[in-house]
Amino acid sequence: MTEIDIHADDVKMVKSLCYFCHANCGVLAYVKDGDVIKIEGDPDYSNQGGLCCRGTSALLHLNHPARVNHVLKRVGEKGEGKWEQIDYDQAIQEVADRLNQIKAESGAEAVASAGGTTRTDDWARRRFLNQFGTPNGFHNALLCWIPTFMAETCVAGWSPFETDLGAARCLILWGMNPGASTLGGMHGYWDLHNAGMKMIVVDPRYSETASKADLWLPLRPGSDAALALAMLNVIIYEGLANYDFIGQWCSGYEELTEHVAQYTPEWAAPITWLEPEQIRTAARMYATNTPGCIQWGCTWDQLGTASTTTSLTLALMRAVCGNLDVPGGDGMPGPALNFLTDEEMEANECLPEEQKAKQIGSDKFKLTSWPGYTLISDNARRTWGKTLPAEWFCEAHGPSVFKAIITGDPYPVRALIVNATNPVNSYGDAKMTLEALKRCEFLVTVEYWMTPTALLSDYVFPAAGALERPTIVTHYGATDSFLGGKRAIQPLYDRHTDMVFWRKLGLACGQDPANWPWETEEEAYYHIMEPLGLPISCYDDFVSMIRMYYPPLHQKKFEANGGFWTPSGKVELNSTIMQELGFPGMPEYVGCIENEIDTPEIAEEYPVVLTTGGGFMPYHHSEHFQMQGIRFLYPDPYFSINPALAEKLGIEYGDWCWIETRRGRIKMRANVDNETHPNVVFAPRGWWFPERDGSADLANPFGCLESNVNVLTSVDEEDCDPMGGSWANRGLMCKVYKCGEFDAEFTAEDAQFSIPGNAKEPGIHAKPSERPLAREPRPFTKPEPEIEVPEGYEWVWQNNTLYQKGTNFRLDASGWLINPRTKGYHDAYTGWRYDAAGEYLVDDETGKIYTMEREEIPFLGGVRGYPGAEAAPFEMPEHLRWNVEAGYAMLPDRQLVYDPNSGWMIDPETGAYHDAYYGYKYDAATQQLVDENTGNRFTMTYEPVVE
Amino acid sequence: MTRYVMVIDQRRCIGCHSCTVACRTWNDLPLDIVYNPVLTEGVKGTWPNVHRSWLPTLCMHCEKPACVPCCPTGASHQDEDGVVWIDYDKCMACLACVNACPYGMRDQSKLQPRLHRFVRKCTFCRDHRAADPGAEPYCVATCHQKARIFGDLDDPNSEVSKLIGSVETVRLLEDLGTGPQIYYIPELGGKA
Amino acid sequence: MRHHYWEWPIPTYLFLGGLGGGIFCLAAILSFFVYPDVPMMGEVLAWPGFLGICALGFGCIMLVVDLGQPMVFYRAFVKSTSVLAWGARFLTVCAIFGVLWFASYVPWDWFAPIAGFLVPFRGFCLAIAGLSGTCIMLYTGIFLSTLKAHAFWATPALPVLFTVSALSTACAAIALSIGWWPAPFTLESVIVAELSKEILHTVDIILVVVEIVVLLVMVLSFLGAGNKTANKAAHRWVHGSYAPLFWGGMIFGGLLLPEILYVFGGHSAASTLVAPVLVLLGGLLLRFMVVLSDDRAPLPGEDRYYTRIADKDDKFVKAWTYGENIF
Repeated sequence: MTEIDIHADDVKMVKSLCYFCHANCGVLAYVKDGDVIKIEGDPDYSNQGGLCCRGTSALLHLNHPARVNHVLKRVGEKGEGKWEQIDYDQAIQEVADRLNQIKAESGAEAVASAGGTTRTDDWARRRFLNQFGTPNGFHNALLCWIPTFMAETCVAGWSPFETDLGAARCLILWGMNPGASTLGGMHGYWDLHNAGMKMIVVDPRYSETASKADLWLPLRPGSDAALALAMLNVIIYEGLANYDFIGQWCSGYEELTEHVAQYTPEWAAPITWLEPEQIRTAARMYATNTPGCIQWGCTWDQLGTASTTTSLTLALMRAVCGNLDVPGGDGMPGPALNFLTDEEMEANECLPEEQKAKQIGSDKFKLTSWPGYTLISDNARRTWGKTLPAEWFCEAHGPSVFKAIITGDPYPVRALIVNATNPVNSYGDAKMTLEALKRCEFLVTVEYWMTPTALLSDYVFPAAGALERPTIVTHYGATDSFLGGKRAIQPLYDRHTDMVFWRKLGLACGQDPANWPWETEEEAYYHIMEPLGLPISCYDDFVSMIRMYYPPLHQKKFEANGGFWTPSGKVELNSTIMQELGFPGMPEYVGCIENEIDTPEIAEEYPVVLTTGGGFMPYHHSEHFQMQGIRFLYPDPYFSINPALAEKLGIEYGDWCWIETRRGRIKMRANVDNETHPNVVFAPRGWWFPERDGSADLANPFGCLESNVNVLTSVDEEDCDPMGGSWANRGLMCKVYKCGEFDAEFTAEDAQFSIPGNAKEPGIHAKPSERPLAREPRPFTKPEPEIEVPEGYEWVWQNNTLYQKGTNFRLDASGWLINPRTKGYHDAYTGWRYDAAGEYLVDDETGKIYTMEREEIPFLGGVRGYPGAEAAPFEMPEHLRWNVEAGYAMLPDRQLVYDPNSGWMIDPETGAYHDAYYGYKYDAATQQLVDENTGNRFTMTYEPVVE
Repeated sequence: MTRYVMVIDQRRCIGCHSCTVACRTWNDLPLDIVYNPVLTEGVKGTWPNVHRSWLPTLCMHCEKPACVPCCPTGASHQDEDGVVWIDYDKCMACLACVNACPYGMRDQSKLQPRLHRFVRKCTFCRDHRAADPGAEPYCVATCHQKARIFGDLDDPNSEVSKLIGSVETVRLLEDLGTGPQIYYIPELGGKA
Repeated sequence: MRHHYWEWPIPTYLFLGGLGGGIFCLAAILSFFVYPDVPMMGEVLAWPGFLGICALGFGCIMLVVDLGQPMVFYRAFVKSTSVLAWGARFLTVCAIFGVLWFASYVPWDWFAPIAGFLVPFRGFCLAIAGLSGTCIMLYTGIFLSTLKAHAFWATPALPVLFTVSALSTACAAIALSIGWWPAPFTLESVIVAELSKEILHTVDIILVVVEIVVLLVMVLSFLGAGNKTANKAAHRWVHGSYAPLFWGGMIFGGLLLPEILYVFGGHSAASTLVAPVLVLLGGLLLRFMVVLSDDRAPLPGEDRYYTRIADKDDKFVKAWTYGENIF
């Protein structure tokens, strides 16, 4: 092979970002004649030149023979795999017409959209859906951060997710394994750990990261809530909390103290399979090594019933230790105040209230849908001045949408647009999901690959991937920093980026072109960052010259803000927003969906604990199984089983085995290893077999059920988190047995779906809307206003304060409105901002300036006039004349106005500077004065200039 | 003189296989050829008192390579800087060197056409470094953990010299007398 | 542990090479030292010599077939310092001079000018072929024993064993074929052949005993020795998966049984026909078992790694070809 010369003159280097997982590592792409010839990790980015297997394979991904490159329109039966390649725009129009028809017949809500893990912003999808009028967009967000974010925001006003590890003395990696997910992070953790930072790993599996930890807590999968509550109990009852912080900044500590009394380590021990002493050691290590961080991990959102309970507990643990937004603690960035947030790009105002109310699942899982989002978002607007995106944070409940497709309950969903996900493999209850995709009347997929979902679609649109799209990192619109990477090349073939797809579809559906002013991501991103006022003229400039924008580091922002960003201004240890939503304000223990203590009858038949959902190298979610160079290293799905258990079950290394839960069974090979507890098996997620002929077996296309752990998970209403709606990947009960000679094949019988999930009773046995939740809502009555609420204002019961509707400005006792973002005062009648320096009011929309009596103040050439003033309200040279009518100081014979700030005369027509004595024009190029009448030139000291 | 060696810090390695994939991608290797497998014996011990380490490997670029003198064609060759490589224009794939290597770091690809196979092995990215003198081998550059450190042992200021001089390192199968030039910093509690 | 890089052609070659080399070695010894003055000696040995040439030729084909790039086999002759390159030269020299020597005996009329031309060089050719044949016998074992990565090969006993085996199989082959065409069917040649057979018979009896001793010494010393890898292989031979082949096939079928037949069989077919064939088969089996015992000291985790990665025949390996877009 000839070596590629990246230093040749015709090779251009492009700063790009990786797009294969959320770490978005820096990538340098070398482009020659429009082809990327090589990539390497960017040594000047956070990954320090590192690139994992997935990132390194970007070029193979770009040119992979199985990539979808053109629009495929189904010509045969659904799933038959017969396609016609058609023109992109024609396909967009056909899809748009069909969507409009469905909207006319069944309402906009009959159209839904499923997403996965877009590794950047996804506001364009929301912008389309909002204008279309449907509230039923969703991602796999419930399994990933969103319930946690919402619970944490309820407690402290924003999620404290930006760990300040450099100054931290302790780090808890809870259900997080950066050693197999975010490798750049792992490097940092290891270095800091080496430098003395304590590292606690909570993981039922002896993970790559656990191998390097100071303290490893191998808890029973799914028992995280119990462990967290017990640790909180230890911190509180051993007096390890930060009482200064609690006293000054927290509310509800006494209630919390009383509440967690029951959750002793001894109580937690049988649930978590840990010794009480282990729990105490961990709690002490975290609480005595402050400041410290708790890194968010997906596990908290994948515990099913106990999800939000766990993340709420951990939020309280941080708070009582005083680790919120302090140096070395968990930073709370807040929304981007200096540039446009994703929320400002979503056009949420286009979605009518009655449509919001139709969002599927919002009647049950309120924290992460419109009811909870509205409370949290309104509060954020009142406290920060901006809010979190509705995309990700306020979505339909995905599994409920799939059930609605099958059952028509609560109403029929007829069309589904799937972009960036293969729901069969990534959503819970794969058999039910597959059935929904089969039954969906109109299915459109935007994809890289021919996935099982794409196979069942009516239209498959090719998606642009890594290197073909600009990528930004704003943590899904939830932070105040902005990192960007360029696209190395324009999309190949007929591939298009996501925003372009949604924009084209929106325009074809008849949406207002004024609402889609940006033709490319670059234009949109430039629009987003324009308020920063950076010296750039386009997005690519930003990447070339700046690349990473961080606001001046604001730690302890709560001090400057005078409080946290909750309705009460305190860290609410007993969250009022949670209460208002009908949830307990403090975490109340709830077990995971299946366990030995709460459901002994299940444990009897399914005695082994199954945990899944964790990341494992070299794959990401259900991706990269086509990448041969990667797949060769890990060709088959291996689940981990302890040698003791394997021996008991007669299983040897490499044996194909069945893993069975109440919902169904799958096949995997045994990795007999001491990685897990003798009664726990760990199974990798997402497995399918893209090398197979998908149409050959439509019961199990591409083997998408055969080794897919989501066949084993449950999305029954009572198994989901009653607050956030996430379902359980952790702590399920299963049995494991070797594939028998006559029982080695996954059959159509194994693929039968059931609602609710039960492999023994296939079919529909219940209406989802009638199913109970894991915990009944707790009725909450909002107090009546204690004061009179004027029209146009809203009363917030937590702090007994009025806020102006629309602006969300607080009505101060002084009668002024206060802007939460700037802390500036605004006139309560006009909304004009008070400018203290000029002692006048400013209308920021028009730029006009008014007196305190709300009379407009004229400006000439940028100089303020004082019409009607008898004398100049400032000192002016004696030879100038005060023009009472105009309110300016002027030269007797010239129409120039005196600017008291600079001491120069300004020509209102041109803005040019003139000296105040003779009215000579200042020539900046020569730094001379010019007499415009004669053309004579003078120095700045009025010496004539001899030419 | 220059003497290229690699130090592998097992304390840092987390077994992500990035080096393997970077190597095979940029060296354009057939699928069944792995120059630098990352080995592990799995999790040892008895739950929960367990331990695990990874052993990233590659050609040891031995001081006295067993694979060079046995080559009947002179294709298997060692440069003055210690790099052992194969001249594909001389190789006829008799596999003498493959059998001679005590580390199993050479092989021919069974996915190549039957009559056009040759023996391949790690060359410390010899061609890549020749084309780009500032470059490190791909496996080194791509490693997030910086577990692989490449450099000149004869340069006392190089990172590898400093590491080998200050940290206890071990080498694999040293008793065979081939003088392997890959130095392992073992994981505490484990062994290389 | 990755091993078994060499497939069946190599042990086959090692057997045939040793056999061919041994035949020329013995032919030379018989011609020059045992019966230097017997006129028909060359003629009766011509057919065994031809078989030796065939063995060498077929062995060469095996050797070339096993190459990754058979078309450039000539590269083996470039470098002078490796054992294998020397082996290739001995093989070539032995085969060429063996052919020349044999050609001088070809009795066809039309061939007479060539044969006649070669007759004066018979002694020279046989001497060269015999010498290089001896080197072939020696080098096969030496070559394997220099590959120290494989502990089971890295013993001085191996070249001895291979050489003894080569001689023993050569004895058997000559005994089976001596006196055939192109030797004329005369009393003289029959007597010479029978006399030679008697000697070969006796020599082989001794060689087989030596071979048993060397083989047992080698295997049993590994069985007790400290080197784990060789020890493991020896265990496999003595009471592991190779034990039936080792004890039943090689020791009994290939050595003890023919020895018994040689000693007690008199001039029966069992002694003159069955025993040599068994010796030949035993020699072949020996090469296979030795080559397959190419155990290396595994690196920690190596076995696990290679059992887990994909097979070259897995479906996904060939499912997609770069450059051929599907959709």
